[in-house]
Amino acid sequence: MPTPLALLNLIHDRKKFLTSLAGVSFAVLLMFLFTGFQNALYDSQTQLLEQLNGDIVIINRLKENMFVPRAFARRRLYQAQSFDGVEGAYAIYTSDARWKNPDTKEARPVRVIAYNPADPVLPMPEVLAHQRQLTLPNTALIDSRARAELGPREAGVVTELANRQIRIIGTFALGTDFAAGNGNLIMSDQNFLRYFADRGPEEDERSFATADIGLLKLVPGTDVDRLVQTLRQNLPQDVLVLPKDGPEGFIRRERTYWEENTNIGFVFSLLTAMGFVVGIILVYQILYTDIADHWSEYATLKAMGYGNGFLFGVVIQEAIILSVLGFIPGFLISALFYNLVAGVTGLLFVMTLERVVNLYITTFMMCLISGTIAVRKVQRTDPAEVFGL
Amino acid sequence: MSTVPVQPVSPLPPSPGPDSPGPDSPGTEVSVQVQALDYFFGQGDLQKQVLFDINLELHRGQIVIMTGPSGSGKTTLLTLIGALRSTTAGSLRVLGQELVGLGNRQLVEVRRNIGFIFQAHNLFESLTAAQNVEMAVELTGHLRQKRQQATAILEKVGLGDRVDYKPAALSGGQKQRVAIARALVNQPQLILADEPTAALDKQSGRDVVTLMQQLAQEQDCCILMVTHDNRILDVADRIINLVDGRLESDTNPQQFVETHTVKSLDRNMFVM
Repeated sequence: MPTPLALLNLIHDRKKFLTSLAGVSFAVLLMFLFTGFQNALYDSQTQLLEQLNGDIVIINRLKENMFVPRAFARRRLYQAQSFDGVEGAYAIYTSDARWKNPDTKEARPVRVIAYNPADPVLPMPEVLAHQRQLTLPNTALIDSRARAELGPREAGVVTELANRQIRIIGTFALGTDFAAGNGNLIMSDQNFLRYFADRGPEEDERSFATADIGLLKLVPGTDVDRLVQTLRQNLPQDVLVLPKDGPEGFIRRERTYWEENTNIGFVFSLLTAMGFVVGIILVYQILYTDIADHWSEYATLKAMGYGNGFLFGVVIQEAIILSVLGFIPGFLISALFYNLVAGVTGLLFVMTLERVVNLYITTFMMCLISGTIAVRKVQRTDPAEVFGL
Repeated sequence: MSTVPVQPVSPLPPSPGPDSPGPDSPGTEVSVQVQALDYFFGQGDLQKQVLFDINLELHRGQIVIMTGPSGSGKTTLLTLIGALRSTTAGSLRVLGQELVGLGNRQLVEVRRNIGFIFQAHNLFESLTAAQNVEMAVELTGHLRQKRQQATAILEKVGLGDRVDYKPAALSGGQKQRVAIARALVNQPQLILADEPTAALDKQSGRDVVTLMQQLAQEQDCCILMVTHDNRILDVADRIINLVDGRLESDTNPQQFVETHTVKSLDRNMFVM
């Protein structure tokens, strides 16, 4: 085995080595945080949709994204229900309303999600457990991951929603997104009417004639895409029929909307790129210092008959070692930060394997670029210079 | 001005392996042959000639010391012979290989058969003495016996008990001996040394040159040493003196002292 010169040179000065690793870890942390925010903002937009228990979604053709308050005629759902393969058709009603923080008496917008509690629309265990209690008048479930501005998010809270009294009978865990304001409430469709049927002249009147999202549950084994085609051909053109999942699906469409119509992507890509550049500069400094410190030794190696390829190898090895050993602590600290930030903001911070691998590849590229810049210095080393030094 | 007469030499096979030819194989007597060598620094109007018509022949088993005032071109000549610079004028045969007109890649090949010793030891602080020496062995591809070879040569230079020490734990003289071990471990036929004793005290310097002398005799190689250190001139078989880029004299130490009345020289130093 050849002498592991790269590794030994790196770890020779423990203090410097640890500082170097801390530098790389910091760059990794920056990139993880910025891509994390970016992904969280996108992921959060679709987390409610992911939870919906159905295969096909029917919405108003004008509802470009979850922000647009366009409802569609509920009879379309009954029409859809008559097709083969449709097991159930559920209407979901959503509306924004002002929620009064019971402690500060400050009103904050929240999103109300309503449906018939008998329908398995959101099969989360906490929701199912309160199925019967939801049918009581003026009750709702609150999202335990809603923002702290709403006050205590727990069962037993009594406050006002849209200027009517409301009693919280339980919690569920979902999280916030742009359209949700400060958080989500779940209530029965009957209660939804109580709050939103007549809110005064300036607000839309809501009734069971229209629904915001229609959810079709299919008989297991039904070809989703074919049924979507059939429904599109047979239902009137005022509604849009989409599969829930898949590249053409409702969730993907919502995500694409946020990706393409907001600056989130650009801003966070820019910040991530800055983290990347900071990393390149840091690693370059580390490698350059190593080369400068061992200038005459490297030149001696060249005099002895080592070629540029060998020196290139040493510097690149150092870059790779730094990328691996710097990534691990950077990743662990980031995972910790993800938990922390998710807790504070209610956004969805997910560390998927794919994202970790992608970020490692980015880190590796970062170190490689630094290595390539730094190595040009060694390659210019003139071995004749060591004489008479 | 005396120059060594040029003798026709039968060419060696190009870049012989470090351990292949024995001392008695034909044609290996001449290690370095320099003919009509000129060398210039710079280009165009700024071009400056530093070496003028150098003719020189170095033989195996010889220790040759090159002296001369600073700026006389000693180091330049040494780096040319060491295949560390390329040149286009004249002829420069090292270990049977003509260096004039060689490309960088081929020069690197030639360098593998030459041992280099510098004024600074240039050891990697992060490697042990043995590992530093092993770096040289690895060039030959003998990865299996590298530890053995390194240990053996370190024992020869008297550092058998310091094999696994890092340079920081060694004295100046010991470090220079590790550097010598590194230069000699592949048994090169030519060793080029640049002020190897300059950074050492009198005793360590003396030890180092004695060691070089011993090993040169054992391995029958040629040593070309640039030095200003008058204390070690006595180990030389020949002393060549370079002044302003020209070979000024080529003598043995005895004559050198007689012709160069340097006030600081003490004749007793050259008693062998």
